[in-house]
Amino acid sequence: MKIFKFGLRLWITITSVLTFIVGWVMLAHAPKPSQSSSSSQAIATPLPTLEPLPGLFQENGKTVQNNDLPNQPLFFNNQPRFRQNPFFSTGGS
Amino acid sequence: MIRSIEFRAMNTTVLLAAEGERAIDGMQATKIFIDECEQRFSRFLPASEITELNHFSGEWLKVSDDLMEMLELAQKYYEETKGIFDPSILADLKNAGYDRSMDIIRASGVVNNQSAPKQFPGLAFSQMSLDPDENKVRLPRGMEIDLGGIAKGWIVKQAARLLHRYSEVCGVSAGGDILFIGQPEDGLGWDVYLEDPRDPSRMLAQLNIPSGAVATSSVTKRTWRQAGKSRHHLIDPRTGEPAQTEWLSVTVICPDIIAADVYAKTILIGGRGVAESFTEANPDLTFIAVDLQGNLVGSPNFKEFIYEPASNLFLSTGTAR
Repeated sequence: MKIFKFGLRLWITITSVLTFIVGWVMLAHAPKPSQSSSSSQAIATPLPTLEPLPGLFQENGKTVQNNDLPNQPLFFNNQPRFRQNPFFSTGGS
Repeated sequence: MIRSIEFRAMNTTVLLAAEGERAIDGMQATKIFIDECEQRFSRFLPASEITELNHFSGEWLKVSDDLMEMLELAQKYYEETKGIFDPSILADLKNAGYDRSMDIIRASGVVNNQSAPKQFPGLAFSQMSLDPDENKVRLPRGMEIDLGGIAKGWIVKQAARLLHRYSEVCGVSAGGDILFIGQPEDGLGWDVYLEDPRDPSRMLAQLNIPSGAVATSSVTKRTWRQAGKSRHHLIDPRTGEPAQTEWLSVTVICPDIIAADVYAKTILIGGRGVAESFTEANPDLTFIAVDLQGNLVGSPNFKEFIYEPASNLFLSTGTAR
């Protein structure tokens, strides 16, 4: 009986060690997750090329970059708005 | 870079323009100043200093330094213009239907008929008594005054001075009464468009002003109908009725905005003879008048202020002569 138990323990130990080593070797040689397989490349559909989105600020059809705009504070609609190029006219009041 | 702001005050459109880093701060402070002035000097507001002065005619009343300064100026110009500039025509103005603000008259489309009693006969603005040492004023009993152009010119002048503390180069316009301090950095002066009095959406000329003041008086801007008759706000003190003028508008260019406003009004009411005597007595004064056909006439040097290339674009109906 003792010999049977000893044999069983030895078998479990050796099997566990061998299984661990075999698993280590398999994982060490497996492809890394970042490497895409050739099959996944084959099914990829090319995306259509989109037109660039219009900018928020446009002047005469030409987009003005945000950092090109003068440094002006924002106001609510009921507040007077600052602007450039004053238009002075005189005609009485 | 010149920045500007436009808003409504004193029943007209106000435009501020200034150059430099502190321009926006300056324009905000100036807007607050103009709004406060409107509360103090509008004849249409029951709590204003002018309303209080008119209410206590016949009694000595202590007034602010600012109102005293305006009254002294009004007295000076009354004498200089031989009474053509006369702030005591308010009763006649009300009688002609201008008894509420123009915004209200335009919104309602109705004016009162000639039912208001005219000013007591025999009253003259020269009878106003001033005590500058005590800041006290006494209007003759029954007299009401409207500082109108003097008050607007004074406010524009003070506003420009305030804005100038923030910006070396600035301009203030209130309904076409404009004062410029300094020149824009391009050195080309300020562009001012002269409106066609027959159609304010059209421009008759582009003026170029180095600095100083521009003011225009017109008989076509503040108009209304009363009992089937066309009326306007420029009362001829000699008749007590809206003035019959040979020109539709007169623009004056000179260093001081208060003088420009008073002279524009006086030349429009007084006509060619008054214009000639003023330009002879004041070499710094230039006037441009628009006649009934849209032609420009004026003092001998008026074409110096017309920007010639633009005149081809803007002289749509008139011709510079």
